[in-house]
Amino acid sequence: MDGELGKQLIDSLRIGVILLDPNGRVIAWNAWMRRHSGLQLADVSGRLIAEVFPDTANSRLGIGIEQALRFKLSSMLAPGLNPGMLPLHQKPADRKLDRRMQQLVYVTPLNHAQCACLIQIHDMTATVRREQRLRAQSSQLIETAYRDALTGIGNRRRFDHDLAERFRQAQQRRSPVALLMIDVDEFKAYNDHLGHPKGDACLIKVATTLQETLRGQDDGMTRYGGEEFALLLADTTLDEACAVAERLRQGIQDLRIPHPNSHGPGHVTVSVGIAAMVPTADQLCYILLAQADLALYTAKDAGRNRCMCYDPDSGEANHCR
Amino acid sequence: MPDFTEMQRDALGELFNLGVGQAANSLSLMVRDEVELSAPVVELVRPEAVAATLLGSEFKELSMVTIDFSGPFDAMAILLFPERNALAIVSHMLDPGMSPEEMSEFEQEAMCEIGNVILNACMSSLANEFGVEFHGGLPEHHFSDTDSLPLFGETDDQVVLLLQIRLNMRQERVQGHLLFLLSVSSLNALLECVDGYLARLGLS
Repeated sequence: MDGELGKQLIDSLRIGVILLDPNGRVIAWNAWMRRHSGLQLADVSGRLIAEVFPDTANSRLGIGIEQALRFKLSSMLAPGLNPGMLPLHQKPADRKLDRRMQQLVYVTPLNHAQCACLIQIHDMTATVRREQRLRAQSSQLIETAYRDALTGIGNRRRFDHDLAERFRQAQQRRSPVALLMIDVDEFKAYNDHLGHPKGDACLIKVATTLQETLRGQDDGMTRYGGEEFALLLADTTLDEACAVAERLRQGIQDLRIPHPNSHGPGHVTVSVGIAAMVPTADQLCYILLAQADLALYTAKDAGRNRCMCYDPDSGEANHCR
Repeated sequence: MPDFTEMQRDALGELFNLGVGQAANSLSLMVRDEVELSAPVVELVRPEAVAATLLGSEFKELSMVTIDFSGPFDAMAILLFPERNALAIVSHMLDPGMSPEEMSEFEQEAMCEIGNVILNACMSSLANEFGVEFHGGLPEHHFSDTDSLPLFGETDDQVVLLLQIRLNMRQERVQGHLLFLLSVSSLNALLECVDGYLARLGLS
């Protein structure tokens, strides 16, 4: 191939091409390089890459070039691990803002008396940007998938996931894990009497208050379903869980949301069932759920607006101490 | 089945550890955090034994980076991690908050580069100490499973130089393997290089 064709070829390529001689000095610098670096061949000819781009001196690119020249080894440099390697820019305006192109670089040795190393540079900016956008979207979708649409707290999927996870951790660490099941008292009567929009507003208020009463120490409040909420607490004993439960129950009572149709005090209240255990390796997490459920229904039967906890010794629910 | 002497085994072990030490430096530089690498044991095994014995049960889904090297001896160098481990490494390097499920082609490139760094460092350590030259190609990354490992056991006259590799990074320890797939004649050429190296050190 004659020299003129070779020159036209590398100038027509849509990637950056740099050729180095056996001493690592630049002998070719194609049109793409001129456009995106702002440097002409005359500016770089006969110079080392580390002189042209001083920040490559002790970089991975420098090592790659040395390996190609000394050992005839090839390298690839991915944009994820080497963001904005060379001061190359898509547009001149980006240069002023130092907004570098994201680059994928290949360094390969050549078997030629004058040319010892080929560097190819691909513009990956659009790919990297798309990747970031997709990741942001995917994170958002994951978050949405775990959030309850009405109340904004965690949903049933979040709870199922957390229950399995926290239970497994407790088994590994041999530490206690506690579960609170919280149910709005006589919510059906509230809904029937005041209508669904009021019912929804009530659930939102209750959920927000439950979450806020935790004071951010744990944002694990989830809506289990309907008017039922669940809270998992890692490293928490039954007594500690009872204290949290009582605070939550009190918090809802203090809201004084009118409940004209209730058999109770005339405003919205909750009942709470509590269970806690240090699970053994062969236990299933649903045991904890069944125990908290039993405690909750005992609290309902005992007159609502109260906290009751599962007693593993008797297998029954008791009032919290 | 060819084998190497105790002396040759130790020399290779040392040279590969020089290489992975170098690779650890490069990786530390890239992630701006300490990365430790070690490759404690060198073994010679039959290709068909690789999938069966070594890759056992934990190695069902594999991430592998391969590079072809040619020179005094030809070898296909392979860095192999169980897929979960590979994803752990890459997500640690790129973004500690990223879950392995979010990995894409984009991160495969990163894996490719990590393999490139480790394998090149090993080969340049050999080239340097043996005073020879290799030609190394560009790395390629594949996901594969043990049942469909196409590289092993195709011909009778091949052997695998096998090294366990341990990577410590951000309190996380990841295990993988380095494999060099060689023909018997290439193995003999490699061992000649090792003998020459030992002779220069006055150790043979």
